[in-house]
Amino acid sequence: MKNIVEVKELTKEYKGIKAVDNLSLEVKEGEILGLLGPNGSGKTTTINCILSLLNYQKGSIKIFDKEMNPDSYDVKREIGVIFQEVAVFEELTVYDNIDYFCGLYIKEKETRKKYIEEALKLVEIEKYKKFYPKELSGGLLRRLNIACGIAHKPKLIFLDEPTVAVDPQSRNNILEGIEKLRKEGATIIYTTHYMEEVEILCDRIIILDKGKILAQGTSDDLKVLANIDEKITVETEEIEEKIIDKIKSNKNIDEVILNKGTLIVTYKKGQNNLGELIDCLKENKVKYTKIYSEKPTLNDVFLNLTGKELRDNV
Amino acid sequence: MFKHELKYSLKVLLKNKILLFWTLAFPLIIGIFFNMAFSDVEKNEKLDIIDIAIIENKSWSEDIIFKNAFESLSDDKNKERMFNITYTDKKNVEKLLEEEKITGYIEKDKNVNLVVKHSDINETILKYVIEEINSNKEIIETLSKKEIEENYKNGVYTIDYQKIYQEVINLINKEEVELNDISKNNLSYTMIEYYTLIAMTALYGGILSMFMINKHLANMDSVGKRIAISPIKKGKMLLATLLASYLIQLFGLLLLFLFTIFILKVEYGTNIILIILLAIIGSFAGLCLGIAVATLSKSGENTKTGILLAITMFGCFLSGMMGITMKYIIDSNIPLLNKINPASMITDGLYSLYYFDTYNRFIFDIVSLIIFSLVMILLSIRGLRRTKYDSI
Repeated sequence: MKNIVEVKELTKEYKGIKAVDNLSLEVKEGEILGLLGPNGSGKTTTINCILSLLNYQKGSIKIFDKEMNPDSYDVKREIGVIFQEVAVFEELTVYDNIDYFCGLYIKEKETRKKYIEEALKLVEIEKYKKFYPKELSGGLLRRLNIACGIAHKPKLIFLDEPTVAVDPQSRNNILEGIEKLRKEGATIIYTTHYMEEVEILCDRIIILDKGKILAQGTSDDLKVLANIDEKITVETEEIEEKIIDKIKSNKNIDEVILNKGTLIVTYKKGQNNLGELIDCLKENKVKYTKIYSEKPTLNDVFLNLTGKELRDNV
Repeated sequence: MFKHELKYSLKVLLKNKILLFWTLAFPLIIGIFFNMAFSDVEKNEKLDIIDIAIIENKSWSEDIIFKNAFESLSDDKNKERMFNITYTDKKNVEKLLEEEKITGYIEKDKNVNLVVKHSDINETILKYVIEEINSNKEIIETLSKKEIEENYKNGVYTIDYQKIYQEVINLINKEEVELNDISKNNLSYTMIEYYTLIAMTALYGGILSMFMINKHLANMDSVGKRIAISPIKKGKMLLATLLASYLIQLFGLLLLFLFTIFILKVEYGTNIILIILLAIIGSFAGLCLGIAVATLSKSGENTKTGILLAITMFGCFLSGMMGITMKYIIDSNIPLLNKINPASMITDGLYSLYYFDTYNRFIFDIVSLIIFSLVMILLSIRGLRRTKYDSI
């Protein structure tokens, strides 16, 4: 598969701070690339540099094998962007907003009309087309924001945190919509700090922090980097130190942390870790309200790589 | 794409109530205030009585025509009273003039001599009245001669001085009305303010174009980011938004003229077409100024609006909005400032229609506005092309 986006050694400094630090990435045709990182990690800045909105000090950017600059109209014609902030005209209705932005790409009226209807359907806001943005809920506004960015059927789509501050129903709707876009053949760059979303959507993930790539690969590739196999959480009222020491004596255990009545036990490997831990708690007459096992998440990867949690920075 | 951009720019502008208020309603409101405030001033101008002095001497006492004419024009009972006269001697009259208690004094010897300290409208009126009385004096003398001859023919040997006098006074009063009209043309604060209102309205259009350009700038508005990554060419976008703003602005001007002419009964005179032409070109300059401020300033939307309003208001101030004297001070001391001030170009063009018989100055102002607009557009296009930001 050919590269749709190629970024080489991109460095962007602003007021002495490196927002993007020698970053290189490639996006293959038809894939969804997730840029995962906490707020301020450089995700949006990277996208804005790629889109030629921001100056940068070093590096080269190619889209569809062409150098990207503000006058690259042929390249821009094939791009759709959904920004983090809602970018619509307050003075125009839902339909007019989509028509306006679609009209910047598609000249032919009838084609545009068809595309607008399809965009409205994709994000399920058909019945709101005569509404003004101020009459829409936050979730519907986000959906309109997406419709405005993709109505012209771009080959390359940038989605910058499209689900921030969105209700669960709208979030699901948005994620389904993105899946549909992928099925239609679009290449997508998706930035978020929600690891669940990249796990569901993305073929490949780049973890960013302080403008640098910490790791990249598929979700499974990255989880290997977490250096753990299983995480068991126990919600308990109290547990003695000697029992914690006893749990720690298991050779598969990586770490045991007790924090405000929650015991988190991480295992490097092992077959029946949950069963053994339950037995241990029973033997020592430890009462608990909840116990559950999880596979390592991207948050664990991030934690392992940076010593801090993704969510802490959100 | 141009039509598409134009259509939606118009839609956006027409849906923005705040913008419509400032560009369509605000000038009308200011017009109403001017009308309320200055209609009284107009009345007061007509009632202005000029303080003068006359040196009492033998020559004055013997000149019945002048004496009676000035007595009539200073009579308390005369509704059209023009002068408040102090009869005094030469020594005192100089003192009164020095202390500016009088506009001027008349000394009659062989001729009627007028002495004034300054040269403004009151002195002009006084001079004009003396000239008129002088010219009417010849008529009176002819009338008197005819009257006397007639009386002699009819065997009447007494002369009806009262009748002759009345005829002269009628003549003078007729002239006086014309005098007031002429002085109004030269001095009307109301017209000066309406001219400045036209200039201000024209330049206020800059708010429209600035709003639209801000919407199209990636560092100003999220919509601007979306537009910046679209394939629309900046020049095309600039012209479409400019045209949309201009159409709304022209509608605003139309409203202003209709409102002031038909509701406020403002008389723009015979040059109304040229006044409208100047307003149309002035509006274009205003829009271009708005675009230039929007594209060249890197500051936020509020600061840009502040800059534009400051330029507009300061320009209007320099062009004489808050007192016509300022325009002459600037014209005399820093002429370049008013040469590059669009408000001054507009007001100067409007005044020139009143003050000059030829249109040279008016055409010069029109050409200046067009050049100003083109410079603003070129600067804006330069500012917009290949724009990348340090931060957005």
